Amino acid sequence: MPLHILGILVVGGIAGVAVLLHLLGLSRVRRFGDEAAARAAWAAEFPDIPANRAVLCRNRAAALIETPQGPGVVWPMGADSTARFLTGARIARSRDGLTIRLPDYTAPRIRLTLDPDEAEAWLTDLEKTA
Amino acid sequence: MSDQLTYPDVVQMAVPFFIAAILIELLWIVLKGRGGRYETRDALTSLIMGAGNVISGIVLGFIAYGFFMVLWDITPLDLGTAWYVVLLCFVLDDLRYYWVHRFGHRIRWVWASHVNHHSSQHYNLTTALRQTWTGTFTFMMIVRAPLILLGFHPAMVLFCGGLNLIYQFWIHTEAIGRMPRWIEAVMNTPSHHRVHHGRNPRYLDANYAGVFIIWDRMFGTFVPELDEEKPDYGLVRNLGTFNPIRVAFHEWVGIFRDATQPGLTWRQRLDYCIKPPGWSHDGSRDTSEAIKRKHLARNPQDAGTPGFPEGG
Repeated sequence: MPLHILGILVVGGIAGVAVLLHLLGLSRVRRFGDEAAARAAWAAEFPDIPANRAVLCRNRAAALIETPQGPGVVWPMGADSTARFLTGARIARSRDGLTIRLPDYTAPRIRLTLDPDEAEAWLTDLEKTA
Repeated sequence: MSDQLTYPDVVQMAVPFFIAAILIELLWIVLKGRGGRYETRDALTSLIMGAGNVISGIVLGFIAYGFFMVLWDITPLDLGTAWYVVLLCFVLDDLRYYWVHRFGHRIRWVWASHVNHHSSQHYNLTTALRQTWTGTFTFMMIVRAPLILLGFHPAMVLFCGGLNLIYQFWIHTEAIGRMPRWIEAVMNTPSHHRVHHGRNPRYLDANYAGVFIIWDRMFGTFVPELDEEKPDYGLVRNLGTFNPIRVAFHEWVGIFRDATQPGLTWRQRLDYCIKPPGWSHDGSRDTSEAIKRKHLARNPQDAGTPGFPEGG
């Protein structure tokens, strides 16, 4: 197959599928139904380290997790989620909430959308523990 | 010898089929409301990884092909191009695939290349295209050397490898439950391969087959999909990024950071490269064996069931 035809097929195919998925409403990010769902999401990544407490943010898109080994966070990855400890995290206010930067190549930046008062409360909480 | 033998690039030819099949699977899922899940950023990442794999093949493919042609010059054997030679080559190349794939899960250097294929939390036809950009650097082309030294032409071997890859495309789906029993017994199927993509402790390091599942049955790595335990797709620790560069290179970065940390012996530095994923010099991480062991400690009733050793 000529390279330019292959290129058109690949680029067009990728763009077409992406646009179609978005139009079908398949870009929605995960929301945690309740704190138990956030704890379950944590347990899926760290089954040996129990979540003592989960603090769900108001839009249910992320949760702070308290564990015997320190604080962590669960957050959506598209329709799914992942989790990390906040060891070595740099946390700063952003326009929409908080930005957490981790020394982790696989999860370098977590953007949390929080109400202003909620962002302030989370920041205070995290500065005490992280 | 038949130095000028050529076969069509079947993987490139299959690109329109890949796109059409993805659209059909997506349509099926949307209309039926079952048979899998799609998510935009996940699918986009998978497709970009697939495109990168094609580009990587175009840019770096000459290295493996050059190596194979050197072997072809060396070997006194030439099995010719009869259809039964191609068939035999296909079967033996599938055995080669089994071992390369098994190494890909048991040697961190090779896992660094293969891990991106497992990094999606979805399991659909786009996942099939989430392929490595760094396969050349694993040096796994060496495992193909015996085939060429036995007299299979490099072009034939690569042609069979392409067919193998195309076969594996359709098994990356939840839209197909189980195939008839005789097919499940001999061939790799969506059910068998769902197990391979599961991160459930039970399903780790199982079902390495490409086309024929018989290799797993022969070498003791077969685990059936259990109706009562749906595979949970993805990595033991899922990525927190969709950035294709990070998806492609994260384990290489991890190896570099681990192997260059201060205070290690040279043996430990080497072990960070060649031991199974999850190995660490201080035991602070879990290999798949440790994950299974810990699971059995929490769930002793699972001992001796598929995917777990006997208890005690």
